[in-house]
Amino acid sequence: MFAYAVRRVLQLFVVLFGLTLLMFALLKAMPGDPARIMAGLGATPESIEVIRHKLGLYDPLPVQYWRLTTGLFNGQLQAMTYHKPVWTVIVERLPATAELGVLALLLSLVVSIPAGLLSAVYRNSPLDYGVTTAALVGISIPVFWLALMLMMVFGVILRILPVSGRGATLFGWSFLTIDGLRHLIIPSVALSSVLMALNARLTRASMLEVMRQEYIDTARAKGLRERVVLIKHAFRNALAPVVTNIGLQVGTIFAGAVLTETTTAWPGIGRLVVDSILRRDQSVVFGVALFMATCYMISYLFVDLLYAYMDPRITYD
Amino acid sequence: MLRKMAVCLFVSVFVFGLLAVAQTSVPETPDAHVGGTVTVGVSQTFIDMDPRVGNSVYDAYIMDAVFDDLVGLDPETLAPIPYIAKSWEVTEDGSSTTFYLNEGIKFHNGEDLTAEDVAYTFNWIIDPANGSPNASEYEWMLEAVVIDDYTVTIFNKPDWTPYCPGIVSESAAIVPKDTCEEMGPEAFNLNPVGSGPYKFVEWVTSDHITLERNEDYWLVYPNLDKIIFRPIPNLATMMLELEAGGIDIVDNIPAQDVPRFQADPNVVVQQLPSLSYFHIGFNHSHLPSSDIRFRKACGMSINMDAAIFSIFQGLTGVRAYGVTPAALWANDREYLEANAIKEDDEEAVRLFNELKAEGIIPEDFETTIYCPLDPRRVQLSTILATNLQENGINAQVQPLDWGPLLDLLYRSEADPLGEDFEIYVMGWSGGPDPDNFIYYLFTTENAVVGTANNFSWYSNPEVDRLVKEAATCPGCDQATREALYVEAQRIAFVEDYADMTGYHYIETHAVRVRVHDYQINALGDIEFCSPSNNVWVDG
Repeated sequence: MFAYAVRRVLQLFVVLFGLTLLMFALLKAMPGDPARIMAGLGATPESIEVIRHKLGLYDPLPVQYWRLTTGLFNGQLQAMTYHKPVWTVIVERLPATAELGVLALLLSLVVSIPAGLLSAVYRNSPLDYGVTTAALVGISIPVFWLALMLMMVFGVILRILPVSGRGATLFGWSFLTIDGLRHLIIPSVALSSVLMALNARLTRASMLEVMRQEYIDTARAKGLRERVVLIKHAFRNALAPVVTNIGLQVGTIFAGAVLTETTTAWPGIGRLVVDSILRRDQSVVFGVALFMATCYMISYLFVDLLYAYMDPRITYD
Repeated sequence: MLRKMAVCLFVSVFVFGLLAVAQTSVPETPDAHVGGTVTVGVSQTFIDMDPRVGNSVYDAYIMDAVFDDLVGLDPETLAPIPYIAKSWEVTEDGSSTTFYLNEGIKFHNGEDLTAEDVAYTFNWIIDPANGSPNASEYEWMLEAVVIDDYTVTIFNKPDWTPYCPGIVSESAAIVPKDTCEEMGPEAFNLNPVGSGPYKFVEWVTSDHITLERNEDYWLVYPNLDKIIFRPIPNLATMMLELEAGGIDIVDNIPAQDVPRFQADPNVVVQQLPSLSYFHIGFNHSHLPSSDIRFRKACGMSINMDAAIFSIFQGLTGVRAYGVTPAALWANDREYLEANAIKEDDEEAVRLFNELKAEGIIPEDFETTIYCPLDPRRVQLSTILATNLQENGINAQVQPLDWGPLLDLLYRSEADPLGEDFEIYVMGWSGGPDPDNFIYYLFTTENAVVGTANNFSWYSNPEVDRLVKEAATCPGCDQATREALYVEAQRIAFVEDYADMTGYHYIETHAVRVRVHDYQINALGDIEFCSPSNNVWVDG
């Protein structure tokens, strides 16, 4: 297991290296002169030149690549339009997206797993139809539209929640203050909708699969109580694909965060991506893309290791 | 070169009046109005807080409150009024302007604001080594020289008259020399120190910027305790925040929401025609768009009045007939409207067929209308494309991000004629002088590969001459200049049909009724405390 983990971490670095090359190539292939966009309409040729030099656009491509990658890791790479290092910009935004993503994930698990479980147990009942319909609606509704509806109902009509923004923070975290928590509700519910739907459907399907197995019949034949059969024998085994899926949802969270954060004026990584692309701040785009990719890969690795822990039949050695 | 002259009248007309106005004391603010916080929703995120480099209208909201301008701007007449400079004098030959500063102005860190700071601010901006994006606004400036502690003279480049449009704009806000040098440009940009009515407190990127009252403000006691600026990129969210009372002021209302807020007793909608010009441009460097018949036929294919009305519903945009905004003098609106090309599909088809018969429009001709990712310009492009298709021209719309769009329109050394485009929809905002518009968009000097803004490369020596004369005639009055600009516009729009005039945007802000004395001006600035207003809120 340890050897496997080490091997995977080494693989991670290889993939990261490949990603830096790919990202750099994509940035260079993007149309438009970043210096000209930063300088704005009507800028003098001299000011555009100065920005080009500051960005090092005249350096050979390998030099530019090396500066981007090393600068990102040693904290020296400057975010031109944020007036501070890229790493600082990312770290400043990270708590906002982290607490939004974690809360959305928790909300989705709290709702979707029991819903999926009950839906499987009471298959073809009105409860099952209700859960599957709700899941279909959850997947179909665009996150930004749901966020707007929540804002209108709870922020404007009922006036019980703030419409947008992050509110007060403590040590950079919203969930540590009442005001921040209130601000966190609408974006996290909106973001969790897709996750809820996916997890509920997966839990249901997985439970139905497991409940067809012979060992479930055996457990019942032994005279175990139905609750024990469902929770201890069926549910535990049905969880493996669900856990795997949760790990893969890091990507869904980042993608959803771009829409949710823009709609709810939540100052996280998702908005940073959009703003940086619009400003053509290549350093930030590069840094954020690599950061997201790293999070994604780490979550994959974590899920793989957890998978082995949860299912003793799986070994990596 | 001898352009930019005659506005010396524009400036000198005010000199004597200003000398008198300068000493006018600002009325004391009633204590009952002091206190409270205003939250402003802004549709874009902030980038720069240093007025030497900040050139976005959204950044200017903050900079206007944190910094003082050398010269103010009357919100109604757009005439320069005293601010840091209590008066100014222009030399007879128009080669320099001497500004006399108010004494006793202090920056937020306690430093005195002196002529050194004024000279430093301008000289830093015009120094090419600093690469300030605002340098283009000061192309006329040679240098600023300190005469004594409270007197500074700005010298123009040879043959440039005292034409100082930038001086009345937010980019002429004065920064403290010693602090700037000590902090460096990056740190100053994040922690600006000005002399304005509100002090910078914190900037949480993409979330909010907080300002608080400058207790020692020299001009008047600012009413508000705090101002909070919140960037909210989604306009639907912004409208909900306004309805819920989460924000007090919105800087941009979509046309469809205007009637709703006009009917809302809790909100006041403030509107003012802006100094902007949006148009459909043609590439004058190659056929068929360089042929006036093609441009006319395009103009005859579309009912522009109806198109603009459908886009703005008559609420946030007004039809343009010339490049000079309706809010500005020399707009010649009546004449240009009367002589504007009207929709005439029959004649348009005839002209297109004539051009096809002559081979000017090839048999397999297809054209693309390029525009930025701005819904209004995309809509206008789509209307034009649809109309052109109905008249036998295969046209499609391609909205582009700024990067590729500017690459296309600025052209390149390899393709100076811009072979890849015929028609585009663009816009322009400028200062309170017609020269800011017609010079940049319609003169040959601005038809240059790589940077210039006359994307069409329209070139008419007579227009060039008239514009240069209007801007460089020493001592000529506004009426003389106006006549020259009017003539230039008539040639460009009526004789040459250089482009299809689109619209002027109307600044539309929504303000909750608890906010009083709020002012917007045609430049799109927001003033919270200035020589002409001091915002306060109901308890």
